[in-house]
Amino acid sequence: MLIIENLTKIYENGFKALSNINLEIPEGQFVAIIGLSGSGKSTLLRCINRLIDPTEGRIIWRGLDITSATDDELRQIRRRIGMIFQQFNLVKRSSVITNVMSGRLGYINPLFSLVNYVPRVEHERALAALERVGIAEKAYQRASSLSGGQQQRVGIARALMQNPELMLADEPVASLDPATSHSVMKYLELLNKEDGITILCSLHFLSLARAYADRVIALKDGRLEFDGPPEQIDNERFRQIYGEDAVEVEIH
Amino acid sequence: MLNRLTSRGARRRLLMVVAAAAVLIIFAYGWSVTDINLNRPQEPLRQQNVGNALRELLSPNIFQQDYTIINATTPILMDCPADGSAPAPAEPTGGDEPHIVVIPACAHSGEIVTVQGYNFYPDSLARINWIATDGERRIRQVVGTSNDNFVTNTDGTFTVEIEVPRIRGTSGQTHTVEAQGRFPAGLPRFSDTTGLVLEKMIETIFLALIATSLSILPSAILSFFAAHNLMRPVRMSLGSLLVGFALLPVGWLLGTEVLGRIGTLAVNLGKGAGFNLGAVGALSSLFLFAAVTSSRAQASNISLNSDHLREIASKLLLAVVVVATIGLLGGLGILFGGLFTEGLLRYLSNFIGSLGQLVELAILPIAGITGAFAVSSAGMSLALNGLKKLHGAPAHLLGGVLGAICGAILMGMVASIGMQAAWLGLLPPVAAASLASGILPALYRRFVPQPARPTAAGRSIQTALSWVGIIAALVGTAAVLNVDRAVIAGTLPSTRSSVSLPGLTLYPYITQAMLIGAVLGGLSAALAGTKATFPLGEILYNTTRTILNALRSIEPLIMGLVFVIWVGIGPFAGVLALTLHSIASLGKLYSEQIENIDSGPIEALQSTGANRLQTIMYAVVPQIIPPYIAFTMYRWDINVRMSTIIGFVGGGGVGFLLQQQINLLRYRDAGVAVLAIAIVVSVLDYASASIRERVM
Repeated sequence: MLIIENLTKIYENGFKALSNINLEIPEGQFVAIIGLSGSGKSTLLRCINRLIDPTEGRIIWRGLDITSATDDELRQIRRRIGMIFQQFNLVKRSSVITNVMSGRLGYINPLFSLVNYVPRVEHERALAALERVGIAEKAYQRASSLSGGQQQRVGIARALMQNPELMLADEPVASLDPATSHSVMKYLELLNKEDGITILCSLHFLSLARAYADRVIALKDGRLEFDGPPEQIDNERFRQIYGEDAVEVEIH
Repeated sequence: MLNRLTSRGARRRLLMVVAAAAVLIIFAYGWSVTDINLNRPQEPLRQQNVGNALRELLSPNIFQQDYTIINATTPILMDCPADGSAPAPAEPTGGDEPHIVVIPACAHSGEIVTVQGYNFYPDSLARINWIATDGERRIRQVVGTSNDNFVTNTDGTFTVEIEVPRIRGTSGQTHTVEAQGRFPAGLPRFSDTTGLVLEKMIETIFLALIATSLSILPSAILSFFAAHNLMRPVRMSLGSLLVGFALLPVGWLLGTEVLGRIGTLAVNLGKGAGFNLGAVGALSSLFLFAAVTSSRAQASNISLNSDHLREIASKLLLAVVVVATIGLLGGLGILFGGLFTEGLLRYLSNFIGSLGQLVELAILPIAGITGAFAVSSAGMSLALNGLKKLHGAPAHLLGGVLGAICGAILMGMVASIGMQAAWLGLLPPVAAASLASGILPALYRRFVPQPARPTAAGRSIQTALSWVGIIAALVGTAAVLNVDRAVIAGTLPSTRSSVSLPGLTLYPYITQAMLIGAVLGGLSAALAGTKATFPLGEILYNTTRTILNALRSIEPLIMGLVFVIWVGIGPFAGVLALTLHSIASLGKLYSEQIENIDSGPIEALQSTGANRLQTIMYAVVPQIIPPYIAFTMYRWDINVRMSTIIGFVGGGGVGFLLQQQINLLRYRDAGVAVLAIAIVVSVLDYASASIRERVM
């Protein structure tokens, strides 16, 4: 169970990205977060693993208070929370397998990293993760030589290395074409259904949310605008979330 | 509207004219300040001098030809007999030996005779001697010239007129006319100057190489501290920081005392012949133990109450192992240093021996630093839980106490630097000012009710208060420590009355500074409380940047002057000067590369739970390796250029030779050095450019 209480984030320039968000997300849900650009989707996701420190409020995950964790505790919490990004955030010059193994760093003795040593078993684990996302044959290529969809799958494999119980996906398909988008979303769905990983995924397209999510959370100007199953979003709700002039675009 | 537009245009034009006039005047002033004088270059003597110098520079003395002198003689009768039976002039023999003919074959003193030479070396120097019966050679200059030598024709002949020397009482004697011609002996070879220049050029290239490679590691480490994107997020709770800082001197003392002994023991163990593999085994197993104990358990559940004692023990153990390993390696180095005295291995042996000596010399500071960091980091993790539970007044009280201790330590350190030179005395007031900058704004926030969202007015009041505090602390500290006297008269603080503690001498100057530090630090930290976050990264970043910029602004030539005083004339001084400058310069260049990297992977790795070191190793390092290689090559290129002139101040290399040659006005030799520099610099320029192109 992930509990978000009165979460507020005000940036140093005074911009209020999130105001008083309250959420409860049970284990195993696939939650889509929708909203316009700048509505606070990324800030919300980054507050959960404290890539951004919230201004006020608490985030409690499995009884652990993330917001008050010390650096060391935070690292232990973070290694159970996977995250994938819109820009994939791979080290482009490094090989695919190195990128995937770097997802395991939270479990490896930091002294080993100084000499770039990775235990054998982690290597095997990385190959297995790549196998799972279907690009094991690319393991020793440079990350930059892969297509966008393949890079995002490397990102998923990297998150898998953490043995995550919660997965944060920040616009994972916004840089991809529709067909590739679906393939990446399918992998996320697989993780949700097979491994029971809770997934919080911010999306631009409502159609993707309708196709994959159990529950949709809509943000507007940092406030919670809607929280419920995707079927409940009718035209009126849609305009509330996206503004009067918006038209829903289907993505196939 | 139109009117306003035109008037604006007119104003702009007027402004442009005024600006242009101002620029012109500034430029004209510069013209006269730099003493530009168009008459001097036109003076004939100067033109001739510069012509000669350039001619010689452009005729570098690269090759050398050895010559032998071959003599050809012919007799001449002094005073033609009165009976007119003058001997007939000898005919050219027609052989291929060099020979000469004098016409006429008899002559009076003071007469002009013609000397013809055959089969001499073409276009080379020759001279005519007159040998009387006394056997003495008298050089006869060619009539109409003032040179002893003349040049033979292209076909190896010559025809010159000489005057018969006026010697009394020679009538009737037969004298000898001798022509000495220069003939090349053997093949042309490289001149001695070329050899010397080559030797010095190799020294120059290696000087640059060593300086560059020595600077890589320090500047790479510094570059991380000078990269804003890496340092900005580094924040710490003030309480932890103060605990850590207060423990630094304790750790240093413990380190030099305890770890220092271990380190010295390890050095001796490594040096000694009694060294055996058992020591290596014991140390490596110790290392393994430390590594294992410090590794985090791979438990699937998250334990937030990690075992602090085990962690602390492993940190201290690690410190012991690090110092012992370094010491052992240093000792082994010294051992190896004495092994070979001949052959190529001699260089290696000497090099490793020097490194070993360096370790031996530095083992106490190394132990001190390691101890300081180990103790302070152990103390921080021990205090973490306690500090977390502390709230309200106790947090502020503890902050005050710790702040006072840390302020005193900080000001004590700064003051001991400030004692070394008059103008370094400016440092303590600056440090005091930075300690004091937060006090007044914090008081304002505490005692004036604050609106929920900070207003612009509130912010500017706080800025103003902060400046008041800064200036007050600056002036106050300067007055207490007599900085004005130090700066104006250049006098150092008195060292007369002092209190001696074991390993530490406290002068009144330092104690005063420490008192100020205690008050200011205590106040600041008490107001902030232990819970406040401290922008440690921002402070480290600014400090590193300031030091790098200051170092970079000092030209290597000036650094060279200082190092020549320290280590004497020679390439070592040059290496030190170039290394120091390269560290500053590469540190800046490297850090800019870090600031340019893609921040995505850093964010991604942080989100996986990697710690800071791991994030740097896996997200930053792969991105910066190509630009680091490129900039290192570039720096080597610059260092070669610099090392060609570092010799002018005694820093070794080809510049030292060039300066001597110029001072002795040997421009043909100087030409060789200039040519060598031009070749090496352009080759390296090309090489470094192509390597840079390839890696980027």
